[in-house]
Amino acid sequence: MTQLDDRATTGARYPAPRPQRVEAGELAEVTLTVNGTETTVAVPARMHLADVLRERLGLTGTHLGCEHGVCGMCTVLVDGEAARACLLFAVQCDGAEVVTVEGLGTADDQHPLQRAFSAHHGLQCGFCTPGMLMSSYDLLANPPGETGEGPAEQMSGVLCRCTGYRGILAAVADVAESCPDGPPPPRNCGARTLVGRSAVPPVTGSGTVAGGVPEVPEEIREPGGAPSATVTVASTLRSPVEEVWRVLADFDRLARCLPGAQLVETLDGDRYRGRATVALGPVRLAFEGLAQVVERDPKAHRMRVLAQGADTGGSATRAVIRLAVDPADGGALLRADADLHLSGRIAQFGRALAGDVGRRMFEQFAEAVDETAHTGRAPELRAGPSPVALAAAALRDLSRRALRAGRDRVTTWFHARRRHP
Amino acid sequence: MKAAPFAYVRPAGVDDVLAELADGTGKVLAGGQSLVPVLAMRLGRPATLVDITAVRELQDLRAHPDRLRIGAAVRQRTVERAAQARAVPLLGLALPFVGHRELRSRGTACGSLAHADPAAELPAVACCLGATIEVAGPQGRRAVGAREFFRGAMTTAAGPEEVVVAAEFPAAGPGEGFGFGEIARRHGDFALAGVATAVRVGRDGALADARLAGFGISDRPVFRDVTALLREAGSPVEADALREATTVLADEMVDTGGDAHGSTGYRRRLFAVLAARELATALRRATPQE
Repeated sequence: MTQLDDRATTGARYPAPRPQRVEAGELAEVTLTVNGTETTVAVPARMHLADVLRERLGLTGTHLGCEHGVCGMCTVLVDGEAARACLLFAVQCDGAEVVTVEGLGTADDQHPLQRAFSAHHGLQCGFCTPGMLMSSYDLLANPPGETGEGPAEQMSGVLCRCTGYRGILAAVADVAESCPDGPPPPRNCGARTLVGRSAVPPVTGSGTVAGGVPEVPEEIREPGGAPSATVTVASTLRSPVEEVWRVLADFDRLARCLPGAQLVETLDGDRYRGRATVALGPVRLAFEGLAQVVERDPKAHRMRVLAQGADTGGSATRAVIRLAVDPADGGALLRADADLHLSGRIAQFGRALAGDVGRRMFEQFAEAVDETAHTGRAPELRAGPSPVALAAAALRDLSRRALRAGRDRVTTWFHARRRHP
Repeated sequence: MKAAPFAYVRPAGVDDVLAELADGTGKVLAGGQSLVPVLAMRLGRPATLVDITAVRELQDLRAHPDRLRIGAAVRQRTVERAAQARAVPLLGLALPFVGHRELRSRGTACGSLAHADPAAELPAVACCLGATIEVAGPQGRRAVGAREFFRGAMTTAAGPEEVVVAAEFPAAGPGEGFGFGEIARRHGDFALAGVATAVRVGRDGALADARLAGFGISDRPVFRDVTALLREAGSPVEADALREATTVLADEMVDTGGDAHGSTGYRRRLFAVLAARELATALRRATPQE
């Protein structure tokens, strides 16, 4: 008799689900570990995992195509194996560990599979890429042994409507050869904030509470993981360094220079409660949030600010902003760089557009700081740059760059366009 | 493509599962890889889904000296990978054809049997080998032979108040060889025609018996004892004679109506070719190598 294999005989390879009961119309609390972060969501029993990832957790890298298990766009890793996220109700996944394409790697720190897909041109429109990546990760991590199937059959669970299969198979073969012991683990799994976009919020680990009213958090945590966008802006101002610093050092005046922002309340510990509006095309987000100056060096004219906010629609943003003023040409050079962490609906803007909007905002911020330093008083709130104008400028910028970019424009548009609803 | 609302319950024991199914409005959910698409397309709207995956007993995969017992919550990929499943080589041949890897991660072996799609692979394997399907219901437990279990398209001997708790596949004995093949438009699609074969030869190398089950060719898997057919094809087997015999067999076995993907005649031809090919393969594997 064959020696019994413990894992296989008891099913202990997979976490044992807890007994549960959810009536139709009720919400079930489901705890998942997604890309290394444990989160609990309250969901109806009929909500599938892909919708939870996309709509509750803002992880829109998992795409939806057919929503009935044919196309493979929604392939994610569940407890280490590729599965269709549209064929799993989230309630079935209580206690499961999920890895999505966001957890695999980042633009700046790609997983070897992502680098291989890039090198072999394993994509055309890119819509199937998250599914292809997660499926191929599973194939290489859990090799099937002798089945008589070729690579094409083994990768046939995800469809590419562009029929770009040759590049995809070449990329997978490349990684299979360079990583004979299986692919390295996902590179972007770690504790970070997962904030949903739905009116029904996650039960824990979120910046919102029931009823869709944003809760202003008491303290600000440094965001973890890779930022959605990084913005670096350097503006030459006519005002001298000390005058510029005086504006930055006074948070009330600083806030007035931020387009769309409004200081609501000054709290202890260099913390500030505020409001910010961002409008972009048909999208309009109103953030309630908190900012905290965590470093302030008056001699070197440097400061570091953490900010976080949540929108009633469930979009959330966190930012680490560094401001530095140095002398330049009889005036000052104001440098601002910010790591923006976006989740929920706002994350659907895509990296390029979020970065464009952020950069535009900081340019206008610099102009407003200069004006405040020069005239001694903050510009009128109404006279400040409108978020709508910002958006229009960003879009103009984008289309100009897209035209300049020539052949690259497809890629630019891919990042900039709103993801599938 | 969103399922209609339903109540969801995940009991801890088989008795609790039966209590949930007692009123006949519930539907058993294991891996859900066949059921969820049906719900997504709203072809079915059960009031309650009874998830059986938390029942410890059903998670058991165990090799006995003469058989492999697969609990109803055991996933297809677990069977594919498990050392003890090698006791049933035909399962190993058939599983790679079941959907895709991503579906087998969650789909269960017993779920394939309970769903009873006419084009599914595992029901044919169960019929070919004469597996036993264990069903629990309000009256207690009973074992149903696979060849009596499948009653029609997506219809089985298990009633709505019952649940499949396990399937037992006979372990391969000495001198047994197996074959499995199917033709689908794409890998992972429903088979246009397919066959599972099992051949046993005696110590003297003479054919002892030959069995096959076809799928995708009728409203349920179709079993035939083909010992006489294979014997008449000669020893060693004459390919033309075998092909002639399976052509006659296909005319009799294949009764599915044609569709856009293939007429009845085309499926007969596919089945005749596959049956001849996989019988020869099974015989070759069963015959001791010189």
